[in-house]
Amino acid sequence: MTDDELDQRVRESILAEPIDTARVAAVVRNQIRHRTRIARWALLAIAAGLALAAFFWPRTPSVCVAAAQDHQHEIVQGEPRRWLTDLTAIESLAEKQGVPAAAIPALGTTGYRLERARLCFLKKQIFLHLVYTKDGEQYSVYLRPLTEEASFSDSVRGSEGLAYFQTKRVTAVFVSPTADAQAFARAGARVL
Amino acid sequence: MPTQQEEFENIAMPHLPALLRVARRLTPEPTSAEDLVQETMLLAWRGFRQFQPGTNARAWLFRILFNAFHAAGLKAHLDAPPSQNSFRPMLQERLEMAEALDALPLEQRTVLLLAAVEGFTCQEIAGILETPIGTVMSRLSRARQELRKSLAPMAKEAYR
Repeated sequence: MTDDELDQRVRESILAEPIDTARVAAVVRNQIRHRTRIARWALLAIAAGLALAAFFWPRTPSVCVAAAQDHQHEIVQGEPRRWLTDLTAIESLAEKQGVPAAAIPALGTTGYRLERARLCFLKKQIFLHLVYTKDGEQYSVYLRPLTEEASFSDSVRGSEGLAYFQTKRVTAVFVSPTADAQAFARAGARVL
Repeated sequence: MPTQQEEFENIAMPHLPALLRVARRLTPEPTSAEDLVQETMLLAWRGFRQFQPGTNARAWLFRILFNAFHAAGLKAHLDAPPSQNSFRPMLQERLEMAEALDALPLEQRTVLLLAAVEGFTCQEIAGILETPIGTVMSRLSRARQELRKSLAPMAKEAYR
């Protein structure tokens, strides 16, 4: 008997056996339908979760957006303003505003030094605007004594170029379009 | 555009009889064969997104079947041949063939079924079983040899 003849006999014998797939097919189809339904519900649940998260996700406070715009106008575009450059005068101004003056020199992180300061309005609130500099790069810190209506987080939040937080004493906004504002803010949070 | 379920129905479900036929020769009980095929189809459904349309669906399904077979640890039960309860009353010749097939070692039986009944090439079987093609060819050759040996006395008996 050749291989082909043997295979033929095997084939005929096996194919002659009755095969009933009805039960298996029914179970498989049922399971697939069930799993598809579960997958659809899971997708819906995820979509609903994302929608809720998007709704409740903390948005950047408007005062921070105003700070970023102020930095753009006053520092980047250099619109003319009156600035204080003397440290003693700046500290005195800070004391009057209720901002901890001793923290001002310490706010300059490694290599940065206080360059100038002035008072400004952000969303109708007075902030002390401090500018720190290093090798021609500048970042701004906006400080205001903590008030009842302040609703910032006590941990550093923000996005690229912008960071903000509050302590028991102050509300602080850091703006740095060219460097890591959050790193400055984290350093600032330790001294404010 | 067909849904994924419709595509699965068209591509995978037609191979159910072939899968069940082979599974019945691998497992000790008919219910185990059905469970194995059911598991195979559900695994196939889960991985259906990865299946490339136009490629060999049957070979893909058989590969899943053998993976499921090994994963389920069914091989451990295979010292005993498939239960004869699974077969309907059959002609003497078919019964002899069934007995001869079941007497083959699992590896040889598997390769012979895939080649002779399902028409896979040795290359395809090597892919399905994830075994070197040389091993497949030698198993097939030994399976045919053994089968001839088993069937020969039966044939002599028939001519008496």
